[in-house]
Amino acid sequence: MIQVEGLTRFYGSYKAIDNISFHTEPGEIVGFLGPNGAGKTTTMRILTGYMPPNEGKATIAGYDVFEQSLDVRRQVGYLPETVPLYRESSVWDYVDYMAALHGMSGKKKSDRVGEVLEMVGMIDRADSMVESLSKGMRQRVGLAQALVHSPKVLILDEPTIGLDPRQVREVRELIRTLGEGCTVLLSTHILSEVSQLCSRILIINKGQIVAEDSPETLSKRMEGAIRFSVRVRGAAPADVAKVVKALKNVSEVHLLDDGVEIMSRGEDDARPAVAAAIVKKSWDLIEMKSAGMSLEDIFLELTQDEPVSDEEEN
Amino acid sequence: MQTLTRSLHNLWVIFKHEFALYFISPVVYILGAVWVGFSSFIFILYFNQFNQGMSEPTMSGTMGFLSTWVLMFIAPAMTMRLISEEINSGTHELLFTAPVRDWEIVVGKWLASWGVLTVFVLITGLYGLFLTWRGNPDPGLLLANYLGLWLICGVTLTVGVFASSLTKYQIASFLVAFGLLFALIFIYYISYVIPNQTLSDIVNQLSLQNHQNKLFREGVVDWADIAYFVGMASVFLFLATQVLSSRRWRS
Repeated sequence: MIQVEGLTRFYGSYKAIDNISFHTEPGEIVGFLGPNGAGKTTTMRILTGYMPPNEGKATIAGYDVFEQSLDVRRQVGYLPETVPLYRESSVWDYVDYMAALHGMSGKKKSDRVGEVLEMVGMIDRADSMVESLSKGMRQRVGLAQALVHSPKVLILDEPTIGLDPRQVREVRELIRTLGEGCTVLLSTHILSEVSQLCSRILIINKGQIVAEDSPETLSKRMEGAIRFSVRVRGAAPADVAKVVKALKNVSEVHLLDDGVEIMSRGEDDARPAVAAAIVKKSWDLIEMKSAGMSLEDIFLELTQDEPVSDEEEN
Repeated sequence: MQTLTRSLHNLWVIFKHEFALYFISPVVYILGAVWVGFSSFIFILYFNQFNQGMSEPTMSGTMGFLSTWVLMFIAPAMTMRLISEEINSGTHELLFTAPVRDWEIVVGKWLASWGVLTVFVLITGLYGLFLTWRGNPDPGLLLANYLGLWLICGVTLTVGVFASSLTKYQIASFLVAFGLLFALIFIYYISYVIPNQTLSDIVNQLSLQNHQNKLFREGVVDWADIAYFVGMASVFLFLATQVLSSRRWRS
């Protein structure tokens, strides 16, 4: 449905996105995950026809975003990060205007406006001024606007940002139900959101895609890795770290208040070696506790500037 | 054919939206009051004091005043919001991702502002009716007067739309439009001090002032004047579209 190849975009000399490629299947919900400033919004703006790329090519439903921008915009529903609203409009007029801009008119238009307002649960607020709505309601109106022309692709930029937990859940629920039948690309920096909603995750950092897979596979990727913490009596955590770091299969060591956290990766589990090394130093090993790997770890791991070293203070 | 139908649809949709938006804010009523206040003051002044009730000079005097001194303020005030406000509030993102062309946005908005000024011009139609009631003015001349005023409204508004595309700050947009209109109207003064005849003529021809005299004083619809109006309007609408489109690259 969405095909992106080698997309690059500069702001002046700053490279906002750098040679991005990915594609999505029809009906998929794809999560676009990355820290702020990673290039999520830029990519989305290119896909919605807001701005052209400097290099590369992107097509939506077979239409080129640059060459056939108008056709692309007919296929795409877009919810920008801050929902742009005409403050002086009522909810109905606002969605109605968007429907008209998408070429609808007459009864077909008013039926559809009523339908989408019903879908997002805003039909009883149709006459309210957009100005007077809460953030969560504005988000719903934004969604209604994005859906009004029955797009094949829905692009949602941080759809749950700034909402309270209850609203977040409502909006997520909406996306899940509304997303049926169309391809959804949503950006977020909230990990639980993608694992709940998306069938596939694209992790983007510093303008580049650093990982692309399903939430399950991404978690599996880290399976060989074990993270555990060690508490030792008779030695300062810094000394323990020094000893442990020299061992095979230990990839990272973080200092904790009363011990060290160790990331082990490689063919063998590093735990026996760590225990042996500590005993050999005649320190007392009082605790060894394993900690699971979550999507959060994967995300941090992939989007870190440099691997955290043992010099980092907690 | 489909392209044309779509463009007309889009122009109509944008026109309707913008036209309705005008009447939500109090600004348009204030501008209307200014328009009616100034024009009736000048009309009465010309009618009573200068012309002893003669209709032709009264009309051309009123029109000349409206199309320069009053429009210089009214047109920028009408248009300053049009594009600046969209950029300031981020709603241009909706327009940029809707299946409408950039020129349709610009022209639709311009037509809406012209639509409001058309209402203003129709209100001043009362002066024509008054003169017809009191005397026996040449109806052709009267019509030419109104046609001229209406056309000049359209042209000055394109300058305002262009200024509005430049910045997200409405006041800045107002000032730029005001400056441009001032220059466009009074540029003919410069032609007096240019020794080179050809250059002097060109500068003279650029002035908005020079293309309204025949319409207002003689009631002559000269195609050269009409061409000037259409040309000027096209240039400024084209520039506004280019500036608006360039935001896609800059933002």
